[in-house]
Parts: sequence; C-alpha cells; structure tokens
Amino acid sequence: MKKLTLAIIIIINSFPLFAQKTVTGTVTDAQDGAVLSGVNITGNGKAATTNSSGKYSIEVPDNTVLLFTRVGYAELSLNAGINSVVDVSLQLIRRNLQEVVITGYNIQTRRQSVSSISKIGGDDVRSQPIGSFEQLLQGRSPGILIQSQSGQPGSAATVTIRGKGSVLGSTDPLYILDGVQITSSDFQSINPSDIETYNVLKDAMGTAQYGSRGANGVIVITTKRGANQKTRLNYDVQYGKSELPNSKLQLMSSAEKINYELNYDRPDGMNPNGWTAEEADSLSKINANWKDALFRKSTTVQHQLSIAGGNDKTKFFASGSVFDQQGIVITTGLRRVTGRINLDHTLGNFRIGLNTYIGSSKFTNTNENDQFIGSPLNALRWANPYVTPYLPDGSYNETDLLLQGQPNAVKELVENPVSNKQLKLVGGLNVEYRFPMIKGLAARSNIGIDYTENERQQYFDRSTYQGSQQTGGRGSFGQNETKNNRQTITTSISYTKPSGVHRYNISLFNEVVKRKFNGFGYTGFGLVGPFKNGAGITPGTSSNGFIPVVTSTETENAILSYFAIGDYSYRNKYFISGTVRRDGSSRLADDNKWTTFGAVGASWLVSAENFMSNSKLISDLKLKVSYGSSANQGVGDDYEAKEQFGPSSYNGTGGLILTNLKKGDLTWEVRRSFNAGVDFGILKNRVTGSVECYNANTVGLYLNRQVSGTNGVNTVLTNLGKLQNRGIEVALNVTPVQTKNITWTIGGNFTYNKNKILALDGTNENVNANLNSINRVGESANSIYVVRYAGVDPATGDALYYTKDGKGTTHQYDPNDKVIVGKYDPPYFGGFNSSINLKGIEASFLFTYSFGNKIFNGDRVNVENPLYYVSNISKDLLTEWQQPGDITNIPSPFNDFQPNTTRFVEDGGYIRLRNITLSYTPALVMLGKYKVSSLRFFVQGQNLYTWSKFKGYDPEVATGYLQGAQYPALKAITVGMNIGL
Amino acid sequence: MKKLIYRYIIAALVLIATFSSCTKTIDLKPTHTIDGDVAFTKIEDYEAALTGAYSRLLSVNYYGSSNGSNAFATLSDMMTDNLYESSESLGNYQNFSHWTYTADDANIDASWLAAYRVIQQCNLTLRNIDKLSSTNEGAVNRVKSQALALRAFVHFDVLRYWGEGSLRNSTLKGIPYVSIFDIEQKPSRLSVKESYDAIIRDLQEARGLMQNMDKAIQSATSTASTARGYIDEIATNGILARVYNYAGEADSAIRYSSMAIAARPLASKANFPLIWQDANTAEVLWSVKFTPLNSGVGDNVYYATGNRASYRPTLNLTALYDQVNDVRYASYFQLRARGGANRLVLIKYIAKQAQLARPDGITDFKVLRTGEMYLIRAEAYAQKLMEAAALADLNTLRAARINGFVPGTETGPALLTAIDNERRKELVCEGHRWFDLKRSDRLVDRITNCNVFCSLDAAAREWVWPIPQTEILANPNIAQTNGY
Repeated sequence: MKKLTLAIIIIINSFPLFAQKTVTGTVTDAQDGAVLSGVNITGNGKAATTNSSGKYSIEVPDNTVLLFTRVGYAELSLNAGINSVVDVSLQLIRRNLQEVVITGYNIQTRRQSVSSISKIGGDDVRSQPIGSFEQLLQGRSPGILIQSQSGQPGSAATVTIRGKGSVLGSTDPLYILDGVQITSSDFQSINPSDIETYNVLKDAMGTAQYGSRGANGVIVITTKRGANQKTRLNYDVQYGKSELPNSKLQLMSSAEKINYELNYDRPDGMNPNGWTAEEADSLSKINANWKDALFRKSTTVQHQLSIAGGNDKTKFFASGSVFDQQGIVITTGLRRVTGRINLDHTLGNFRIGLNTYIGSSKFTNTNENDQFIGSPLNALRWANPYVTPYLPDGSYNETDLLLQGQPNAVKELVENPVSNKQLKLVGGLNVEYRFPMIKGLAARSNIGIDYTENERQQYFDRSTYQGSQQTGGRGSFGQNETKNNRQTITTSISYTKPSGVHRYNISLFNEVVKRKFNGFGYTGFGLVGPFKNGAGITPGTSSNGFIPVVTSTETENAILSYFAIGDYSYRNKYFISGTVRRDGSSRLADDNKWTTFGAVGASWLVSAENFMSNSKLISDLKLKVSYGSSANQGVGDDYEAKEQFGPSSYNGTGGLILTNLKKGDLTWEVRRSFNAGVDFGILKNRVTGSVECYNANTVGLYLNRQVSGTNGVNTVLTNLGKLQNRGIEVALNVTPVQTKNITWTIGGNFTYNKNKILALDGTNENVNANLNSINRVGESANSIYVVRYAGVDPATGDALYYTKDGKGTTHQYDPNDKVIVGKYDPPYFGGFNSSINLKGIEASFLFTYSFGNKIFNGDRVNVENPLYYVSNISKDLLTEWQQPGDITNIPSPFNDFQPNTTRFVEDGGYIRLRNITLSYTPALVMLGKYKVSSLRFFVQGQNLYTWSKFKGYDPEVATGYLQGAQYPALKAITVGMNIGL
Repeated sequence: MKKLIYRYIIAALVLIATFSSCTKTIDLKPTHTIDGDVAFTKIEDYEAALTGAYSRLLSVNYYGSSNGSNAFATLSDMMTDNLYESSESLGNYQNFSHWTYTADDANIDASWLAAYRVIQQCNLTLRNIDKLSSTNEGAVNRVKSQALALRAFVHFDVLRYWGEGSLRNSTLKGIPYVSIFDIEQKPSRLSVKESYDAIIRDLQEARGLMQNMDKAIQSATSTASTARGYIDEIATNGILARVYNYAGEADSAIRYSSMAIAARPLASKANFPLIWQDANTAEVLWSVKFTPLNSGVGDNVYYATGNRASYRPTLNLTALYDQVNDVRYASYFQLRARGGANRLVLIKYIAKQAQLARPDGITDFKVLRTGEMYLIRAEAYAQKLMEAAALADLNTLRAARINGFVPGTETGPALLTAIDNERRKELVCEGHRWFDLKRSDRLVDRITNCNVFCSLDAAAREWVWPIPQTEILANPNIAQTNGY
C-alpha cells in the first residue's frame, strides 16, 4: 500500500519548564482514532509501553526525542521539548491483521475475517486529478480490473472484479456507500475526498451477503466521520494542466495527400477532385492544424475544505468541495460542487448516525467511440490537412462537404452545445439500540436513499450539419430529465459474544431495496431567433414538419430479502463464518420470484499457534477458504419476464407492438465461487502480502438463445450457459528500509484471470459479427473472431487471407475462414508502486499494466479504407500496391476492402506510468509554532507515459473494440497543497 | 418516561421490519407498456395490434432507410443497372452493389428479421381474435383480413429475395411460411410452389373476409394525402396481380390487375408529380405512410438532408426517357448542386410537398400503383401472345406519362423489350428492377458509369440471397440457399 500522506497529528500542550519530568500521553490510530495499546516508547535510555487504554508514562529530561513504535504502524519520533503531555497518532502503513475491514453488513478485523477483501484508503488515492472515484483505484489492488475507456472528465470507467462473470448481463460491481446502494457508473457528482475507505469484497463470503446483487463483487465505501478529538480543519487545493497524449497513428500531410490524389491510380481515376497544377501546388502548402483547433491544454482546479471533531457523545465531519476540470477537447469538462455532513450521536443505549450528501455537477461532453461523421473526434482523423478549420476572416471554413466528406468539426462542436447536469443526494439515517438487559444484543435500522436527478440538454444549431439533419432541417433543442430514486431499508437484530474461548456473532436481517426510475423529455424543432434553448422552438403544426417529440418512461423494481450472517471463532485462532440470504424480486416471473443464496468460510490463524509464536521469520500467517453463491440482476428491463406491448404509431393512429417476449422461466444467473488464500507477514511485517486463488462458475448464464428469426426475433434472453473465471491474485508489500529518517516501500500486485465458457445454448458457439467477437465453448468469452490477413499478393495487389485451416491463402474473403485470434479482455493486469520518504520529502510512483488481450482498431479501418480517400487517410496508404511486383502490406485500391481481418487487430498490452508524485511534508515540530498541525506540498504527473504498441492514442479500450473517435485518458501535471489546522 | 420512549422506538423498529416484509413490495406491474397476458380482450386491442403491424413496415430495414438495409424499397435497385455508386458514398452498401454479400451480412440478417417482424405482428393480431367473432364478426373480419393480406404480402417480399425460383410450380427452395406466433417453432423452407400456395391462400381468404365487414377499411374515394394507407380489397387485388405476374400465371394476373385498374385509373399528367410529394394519392392502391420523425425512404440512394447522392441514376437508365416530355423524368430526377457542380440525383423520395424547401427524405412509400398494374397486364397479355392488347396497355400508360406521345407499334421481342424498359422508367427505385431481372433469368449489365463489378452472371448464386447465418445456426430445419 502506497501512502501519500503522513497524516500524523499531534497535539502538544505547553507546560512550564522542568529539568526532568514525567511525560504522559495517549497513543491513537490516525485512521479511526482508536486507542493503541502495546506501543513501545523509548527515549533517553528509558522505555515504556501503552496500556489497554492507550496511555503511557515515561520519565525523561526536557528535549528528549521520543520514538514510538508498534507493529504495523509507521514509526514516529519527535522531540517532546518541554511538554509534559504528548499525545500522538500513529499511521497504519501496512496491511496487517489488526486492520479493520468492512465485510459487508459487518465490520471485522482482518484477523477475524475469512473473506477476500481488498481495502484501499481514500486518502491514498484521492490526490489524483480524476473526477470519477472508481478510476482512482486502478492498479491499487489485485483482482480489480479498472479500464477507463474515456478521458472525458467525469466519465466512468469499467470496473470488473475477478473476471467478467456475465456475457449479456452487467459486469459492474455493486456499490454500497455508507450502507446505501448507489447506482454504478454514475459517479460524476461524488466527491472522492469524502471517502475514508474502499472495501472490495471479492469472494462469496462477502458477495453472498448481497444475494441477487452481489455476483460481480461489491465495493463497500465508507465516508469520513468525526472522532472524539479536538476539532480539525483541513484545506486541500490543487491546480494542474492536461494535454492530449501522442498517437502512433499517422495521417497524411497536405503534400502527401495531394500527391496521393494526383499520382495513385484508383477505380474512379487519378486526381478525382480535378486539381489543376496550381491548385495542387498551393493546397500542398497548407497544413491545417485541426489538432490545435479541437484540443487545448486544459486546466484542473480543485478545492476542498473539511472539518471534523467531536466529543464522547457527538462526532461530526463536514466537507465542501469544488472540482473544475476542463477536458482536453474544447467545450468539454466537468464542474462539481459538493457538500457533506456526517453526524454521530450517542444517547444512552442509542447510537444515531446521520449522513447527508449533496453533489451537483455539470458535465459537458462530446460524442466518442463511434464512426459518425458528425463526431468532432473523428474529424481530427478525417479532416483533410489542406482544408483549414477557419477561413482567413475567422469564420468557420465550410468548404463543401464533398471535399472532406464531413462537416466542419469545430463548428459542430462549438455551435451544438450539450450539457448534463446532475444533482445527487445520498443520505441515510441509522439507529442502533443496545439492549441494556442482555449484553451483546442490539437492534439496528438503516434507512438510506440514493437520489439522482439528471438533466440533459442538447442544442443543434440550424447552421450546422447535425442541425440540418434534425426533423424539419432547422436545428433542434432537446431536454431530457430523469429521476432515479433508490431506497435501501435494512433492519437487523444481532447478538455478539466478543470475548472468551468461544466468540460468536449472529445477525438477522430484513432488507428492502426499491428503485423507481422515471424520465421525461422533449425535443423541439425549427429553431428561430437568437435563442439557444427551448425558447427558439417553432410550435409544430400538421403542415410545418416541426412536431416536437415527447417521451416519458417510468419503471420500478424491488427486492425483499431476509438473511442471516453468523461468525464463530475458537480461541481467536479458528474462524468460521456463514451467510444465508433469501431474495424475492419483482423482476422475475410469479413462480420464480424467490431465490436463496449462501456462503460458508473458514480461516486458521497459523501464526497464533504456539509452535509459531517463536518464529522470527513469520509474524503473521493466515489460511482461509470460502465457498458460496450470489447472483447478478443487471440484465433486461424491470418487467423482463412479462410479455410486453409498447406503443407505436402509423398514419397518425396509435398502435401496439410486441416489445418483450414472455419468459416465465427467467431467473438470476448465479455465480458460485470458491476462494482459498493465505495472508502473511514476514520479518516483523516488513514483508506482507497475500496469495489467493479462486474459481467462480456462473451457472444459468444469461445468453441470447438463438431462435428462428422467422418469429420476428432471433434471440431470447435465457438462463443457459456456464462460464468459468479462475484466477490467482498476488499482492506484496515490502519495506526494505525503515529508519528514523528514511522509509522506503515497494508494493505490487498481479492478477491472472482465465475466463472460459463451459456451456452455451446447446450450440457450440455464438457469433457477434458486429463486434467481430465470438463466444465458443472452451474459449474465453468475447474472443476475437476474424479472418486472418495474409498480406498482399505482389502480382495482383489483392489482399490475401488465410483459409480456415491456416494452411493456404486465398484472394476471396470468406467469413467461413474466421478463426479466434485472441481475446478482448486482458487476462493479466495489476500495478506496482514504490515510495521513498526522506525526512518528509517523499517521491512515489505507480505503474499500472495489463496484457494478454487484443484490440480491434476501428479507428484505423476508417483511415485505411481506400474508398474514403475523399477525407484524410493513413500515411500507410502511401505504400499502397500500385503495380505488379510491389511488396507492401496495403492492398490495391481496386481490391475489395475487408475490415474484419487481423489487419486491424492489435496487441492491447500496455504499461503506464499512472502517477508520479513528489511531495514535501515539513517536520511537525517546526510547524507547531505556526498553529498548523499538518502541511504537505506536492506535484504529481498523471498518465505521463504509456508503453504500448497500439496505433492510436490510448490502449485502454474497455470493450477491446475501438469504433473510432477516441477520447484518450488525460495526461496531466498538477501541483497542490494540503494544510491542517 | 424515558423507558417509554425507548419502547416506542423499539416498536418503530419492529414496524419498519414488518412493513418492509409485505410481499406486495415485489409485485410490480409495468405502467408504460401493456402486459400481453392481460390485454387482448377487446376488438380495440386487436385494432391497435394491426396498426402496430403496419408500423413495422416503417423499419429502416423494410421501407425506411437511414442506416438500415432499406431492403424492400431502394436496395434492390442499387444492385442493378439502374444506379451506380458515386464517390459521395460512405460505402455501407457496397456489398450489395458489388454482389459480394455472404451469409453473415448484417443487412441481410436485418432484412430477414424486419420482414418476419411484420409477420410476427400480423400473427399476434390474429392470435385468439376468433374468440370475438361471435359478438362482433364484422369488426373481426375487418382486422383479420388486413392482417392476413399483410402477412401474405410480406411473405411474398421474402420470397422475391430468398426464393430460388419464381414460377408458380417451381419445386426449388422457397421460404418458411409462418402463420402462428410461437417462439419455439423452427420452420423449414417450403418449395416455391408451396410458398405461392400459402401466399395466395391468405390473400384469397382476406378478399373473402373483406366482403363482410362492419365498415370500410378506409375511404374508397378519398385522394387526401392520408388516404390509402391500409390494405383494402383494391390493394389486395393489386397484390394478387403482382404475385400472379411473378408466378407466370397470366390469366390471373390479367384478372386482378384489371380489377385494380378499374378501381384506380391512371393519374393525370398534372397530378402525377404531386403523387411523389404526397399532395395526392391518385392511382395509388396502397402506400405506406411515413410521417415526420420516421426514417427517410430513399436515403441510401440520395440523402436529401445531407445532400449526399451515394447512388446516382445511370446514363443507361436516363437515356431511356424522353427527358423533355416525360413527366416521370422531372418527377424522379433533378440536377442538384454540390461542390459547385451539378449532378443528377433521385428525387422520388425527397420530401412531402410542405418540406420541399428543406427536404428531409420523409415520404410515403408507394407500394402499389396503377402504372404497375398496366405493365403487369401488358406483360401478361404478351405472355399469352395477345400482342395487340399488350401494346394497347403499354400505349395507354405511355400516353398518360409522355406529352405528345405517338402510340408505339412494337411487336414480338421489341414489344417485350418495350414493356421491360417501361417498367424501368416507371418503377425505378420502387423495388422491382432486381426482381424483374431475376425472374426472367437475365444478367445485370452496368454498361455505363462502371469500372469494377459491372456485371452479374445470370447463373450467379447471388441472385438468391443467402439465409442469414444466425438462422442457419438457430434453425436446424432450414436449408441454405444453393451456393452459399
């Protein structure tokens, strides 16, 4: 685990001066404020240890340097000066058995937990200049693949935990924020700085607790809370610049393009635009800079203020933040303002917690990952270099579309603004009552809400190409509003016996999760006047063609659950846990609504055995195993099991059309997973790590069962197949040097996930020709299925293709020659980091990597298709076959162009310098007199360099299939400061 | 007192638990769609389902176009000598104009599905409708007859692309004829003859039911732009005429085309251009009504909104017209500027009258017109060697279209050529040329405007579309078209 902040808070009280005196104080955990016992304090040849309430007492002279040490915590040394009370907080630096993890509905220490859980500290990752929190987690932890396909500020990444367990269903994990389910991929309005911990539940022990929602893993997020401490104020500020990374895909310059047009033979003859010699000469000299017209060096500014404190009864945490990130494409960006108040109050046997969060954001984006000629990011590729974005007088250059085959992208982008405003409220009230008559018995209730309101506005100016395509041809203005309201109500009763030889906990739960979604939208046409909003819409009549479109939708689902979670330990060395959960869902057919899930797990703390207690080598050793089931519900609509008829219209009359087939047998796809692992700490936890292996079988896999298209549909969603994900995860953290002044840590993680289809719908394979992919029994889901390209026949210029058996080549492209040539999803991935801290100066870096996958580069298809020579094309086409004997890889333009071949399949592996940070934390003692309790300055680089063979901007393509119009991840440098009072 | 408060709170906790345990929580019903198990109790439900069946024809893979296959409108012409691909094309339909399609072609798959989706909706309209017959027979007949006729018509469109033969008694592979909605059925291909049998049976049953209805399907006389959007008896006769003509059954073709001609005389020269602007429906037997927000119809040929003429008429076609006197020429083609140069583009589907200034490509697709009926009858007479009658029909049509037309005197092969040329001129981009060549075993020969892929041999496998690969995989009973 890399640490970015020291976060050491000391409170020094001044007392009169004495030569030799008793220094006392309390040592607490910097993270949760818990008192720490067993901390060794040394100074001036004396030693002391904190007692069970974290207190110590030591007799030393003035100005003695005290050294505080405890297993698993960063050493802390400081000059006690003339103080007689020195309270300190120690920072947990390495994962160890005392670390607290959220196991789902409960909290345990790692010692007790039998689950596979990755915990990531919010403060460790939050400084990265990224708008959407899940992207912060990339490379931090094994088993979690995070692919940010888009660099648009605020866009969400694809998160996959332990391989894709579904083919058609969602593979997004379940996100639980302070006990409340929140919508995945909808994080633009969440402030990452509020987050205390991310707990990623990966095995069945954790996911079974969430039953029908848990199969893709669960990310349980807790936000920061106040503690019984002096009120602390923290202010963070950050400022930075981002830019477009380099692309390996080279396009023609004006001179090259004109040369190509004039001198390369093609089906419709040379010089198709009919340039005269003078025109050709002058055009060759123009080198239009579309990149500068469409992209910019963009700015990121971030401010956050938080205040935390409390007493033994009431604790609070409050924060406010502003995040303003421009995208590198002009007009794009994310601006977010957030506020949070978390309160905890104890009243007798009651504990009451209240979380309120409000986030408001405006997200301005542009089209990406498409092949549409109106998409500005495609224009960057396709605009002819001899056509400038602007005319000399500064107006848009709208040289006839024929020249470029596309509209002026700058105009399309600037004149057609789009905005997405979001208001997000996440709140919850939880009440706990501890029964006074029976110790250990408690009742809890948690009522939470996740409410999101989205407002999307899209304006198409009547003078633009896209505007001319609107109904009536005179622009449009549309607004779409959606409201998503999800309530989570959890009620439980639990009994805990926390000490003794037999320790156990049993909890019974009832939970209801209800979600209601409704949407309303309109698009009006025929814009008049100066308005760039609804005011310009022409009222529609039957003759003017400007009849507006109005849409409305509402859908609802609910899960009702009963479940029990139990844990038992013997001598605090042997642990057993079990969960059983029964879920009833509104989404399934009447006879099929209820499903039961469950898991069992056990662990053995080997290092607690007597025979291990004297081991100098091994400090911690724990073995664990678990098995259980959970399900995935992210498929289809809320009424997927019913035969549904939706509205249609013909000749002004409303009608009904079949929109959904009846599926009386539909049920969840269930993931059964087995996990076994070992957690270890060696050499006083200088080396810690874990190795885990898992095998997860998805049964009742959702597949589109192929049915005869003569029914008007050719697939039916059915629980059919079987899919296996098995893998191994390794995490290792080493502290090679830990002295008074220098701490050096190295960390790394590695995951191998093998995905394999075990059964399909009776057939052996299922091809998706649109994405060049196939699901075949025995192979990875989402394998790439294309014809193998064999180069160019020097005699004829025809492309050659390998036949299916691979033994021969043919001039005739035949889809029957398609074979599997790789997979879209990377099987190997991870990250590694290191940091060196020398007297408060810290340098750290994080690399992330993934490999073993391939990418279909559709971006290249569109610039290597000789038919598209009317717009700009790849430089590689200059080596096009022209006459017999030419040895080249680019076929003759007379040859039929075939995109679905290995010619466009590229290696997707990469390694990226995800983050590099240099920071300085001045010594605390020095800060004391300025009343500053913590101070940190940093400069960091994000995505500064990526090693990859991919011919494009960014090899991080979440689907593996790049259509075009790629918005690459930002390359950013920021400077910032954290100050605590 | 304090204890009392605790008790209340505990009671509240218990209540929350109890409330949330109610199984009604998970018993939710859709509000913006209708549950098929609940609906279909009233004739209005069936009428709505029938409207839904017609609306399926608006699909971009049937008569609509933008980004779809446009299979039953202009795609078939793009495969022939009527059109050539220009440099404005984005190349999305090159597989068709170059005849390089294979069984995994996405557009062929989409076209197959789009056709059977209309049939699905017809079959859903017919599902259990008979249980209402006892109470409202006339209304049931009105709905049922249209569903049967539409089902037959769409099957015939499928047969045109996928049938290995055209003649009535051909034993070559035809198409699956689907007359119930059952997701598990895996029908096999009937022979061409059996396909015709089923198509004609449905059409004749529809005609019979149309004799006993509670009210007319639509106004028999209105020529308003919204008129003739449904299949009534006149349209059914027109469909039968076309089916019998393809099948080579001249007598029946003459019989039904004559009935259609009698009911719908040819448009005047003044009215003819207005048909294409949807300003009237003169001589239209049935047109599929496109309204704003539907897809454009001929976008794949000429995308009016973006002024992109991906496919243009060949010189070989335009040379057939008397470009000055023939009202069709100016109704169908126009020189439009792009990049400072004029080029001839297809304007048949450019816009309705009100939108001509800003054409959006949204027009009705004229499925059946009297012009075609005359050509069917002329062809049928010629087949029966009744040359005088054939020539008379041909001359009537030409006189109606061409100012100052001097009646022709063609005989023998010249007469057959004249009828064929007249079909090209009259019906360009109405979805006929490819099938006219196919059913007479001719080749495509692009003798003008062509460098590569200029001819398709009469014996080539591509004359019959392949059954989509998805269908082959899903349906073990279906046989692939020969050669694929």
